[in-house]
Amino acid sequence: MIAKSLLIVSVLLVLNGCSQKAPELNSAKTGKNNVLDATEIAGKTVSIDENTYGHENSHSGQEGLNESKYNSSANGFQSIYFGFGDYSISPSMEKYMTNNANILGNVNGKVKIEGNCDEFGTDEYNYALGLKRAQAVKESLVSQGVPAGKMVIISYGESNPVCSSPTDGCYAQNRRVDLRVAK
Amino acid sequence: MRILLCIFIALNLYAADATLKIQKDVEQRTRIALVDASAIVNNTFFKILLSDFKISGHFLADTTHHIGDVNSDYLLPVLKSKEYVLKFALSQQNGTKLIIRLLRVADNSEVLKKRYAIPTKDKMPFLAHKAVSDINNALNYSDISWINRYVLYSRYTKARHSEILLADYTFHYKKVIIKGGLNLFPKWADKEQKSFYYSAYSGLMPVLYKINIYTGAKQKIATSEGMLVCSDVSDDGSKLLLTMAPQGQADIYQMDVATGSKTRITTFNGIDVSGKYVDDESSIVFVSNRLGYANIFKKSIYSDAVSQVVYHGRNNNAVDTYKDKIVYASRESKNSFGVNRFNLYLTSSTNTDTRPLTTTGTNQFPRFSIDGSVIQFIKHRGRGSSVGYINLQSHQSLLFPLSGRKIQSIDW
Repeated sequence: MIAKSLLIVSVLLVLNGCSQKAPELNSAKTGKNNVLDATEIAGKTVSIDENTYGHENSHSGQEGLNESKYNSSANGFQSIYFGFGDYSISPSMEKYMTNNANILGNVNGKVKIEGNCDEFGTDEYNYALGLKRAQAVKESLVSQGVPAGKMVIISYGESNPVCSSPTDGCYAQNRRVDLRVAK
Repeated sequence: MRILLCIFIALNLYAADATLKIQKDVEQRTRIALVDASAIVNNTFFKILLSDFKISGHFLADTTHHIGDVNSDYLLPVLKSKEYVLKFALSQQNGTKLIIRLLRVADNSEVLKKRYAIPTKDKMPFLAHKAVSDINNALNYSDISWINRYVLYSRYTKARHSEILLADYTFHYKKVIIKGGLNLFPKWADKEQKSFYYSAYSGLMPVLYKINIYTGAKQKIATSEGMLVCSDVSDDGSKLLLTMAPQGQADIYQMDVATGSKTRITTFNGIDVSGKYVDDESSIVFVSNRLGYANIFKKSIYSDAVSQVVYHGRNNNAVDTYKDKIVYASRESKNSFGVNRFNLYLTSSTNTDTRPLTTTGTNQFPRFSIDGSVIQFIKHRGRGSSVGYINLQSHQSLLFPLSGRKIQSIDW
């Protein structure tokens, strides 16, 4: 019995001694409580290219500037510009709204109203500001008789600048709503 | 004369970045030296170890890059003034392997010995973080496992294009997870960091997706006209706070993930965004322009009353919460254009105590760590940008430079 106990103790001591062995840096073996600790770090993560997912036809945001210095809309629409931090349509933009309402009357299908901001803002607030601008344009068009269901609004926040120079005039071009026929 | 001198000193102290204040007594931190036994010395790895020890708030690491033997217990006489010596050997010949030995100087005893191995080289920073958090735990200091976590962020690449990336907290490791198109506002869906939510702007309406970073499995969660952002995830992951605009009006909604049902929480005819849970998820803190400018407000999820949280600043448009703690960014200069000074403040949903965390530069995107002990933020100063960290207990701070593209949103 004593011999059996000594044998068990000896085996335990040997096993314990094995677990205490100093690990070698270049060993391929994985030891308990060390290498396994790092497996969560090694988890392979994916990498996805959404360029292949079939986006709608994109535009550079610069195309409108070729037609008119201060217009980044398409299909004959005129961009509407806003003051800093503002989402009300100024009187100077009213004539363009009338023009946009007239064009909308001749469009079959939906028109996309895109709200945009300058770079002076962060996070969600800028996207909400762009949305308020798009909504203001939509409501103005509705008041001129355009059916609400013919328009869809979206905010691009500060993600879609048409100008990147550090000038007040450039920032003003980015505080805008663009209109284009939805594809 | 003395009064003038005192005023001068006080002004100079105030002008310095408050985040650089070291309020914890240096003597209270554990003095540790690092001995590098790597066959090929990697200075980046050494610097990451130093950063980890510093931001932990528990260690005062010797910045001298000592070279030595990892297996020997011999300590140079110059190291005898330290309390602990970390001997380490890094190898990147086949994947990345690291062996560490922590020695107590007083009795030359070995406190901790570990070996780590991962099959890739690019995740080397995570081995440094893991080793330091293990050393921290071995000495029974308060948990710093947040340094092991992924940072998730989106950045603009060109007009209407962005990419979503993973990084370690120092941004030495970076990997693009989603590229192409306009994908914004990534937000971790679970504490384990297996999945995240993000908004995809690929069609007429934004769509909120949930994606598993290991399998790539993608699930459509919600869609809304105008804008759609997942602003916060409940502690157990069962509820989301969304900013969405089903009728063209941006408001905050709570979504039950299991059923998909949504409850509108705010109804203001202006801007309500960035809802964050607070007070055991019975209330939210959010950004609203209901006073004519962006400011921080609080509202119970189950009643209509709204209370103002912040009473200073010209534009307080970013906020984050941890339990009852609130951190927000406040614009303190009045340039309509160009560089404005944004500072971070820490306050609470249960009292009005407020303290500044930064005093210089443009500090934005404040985010609490998962345990609320550290705040991450983006600092713009001059032409450069950095990701910064402030340890709220020890007041230790760190900045790591960011290169290139503008960050759109960040989470960790």
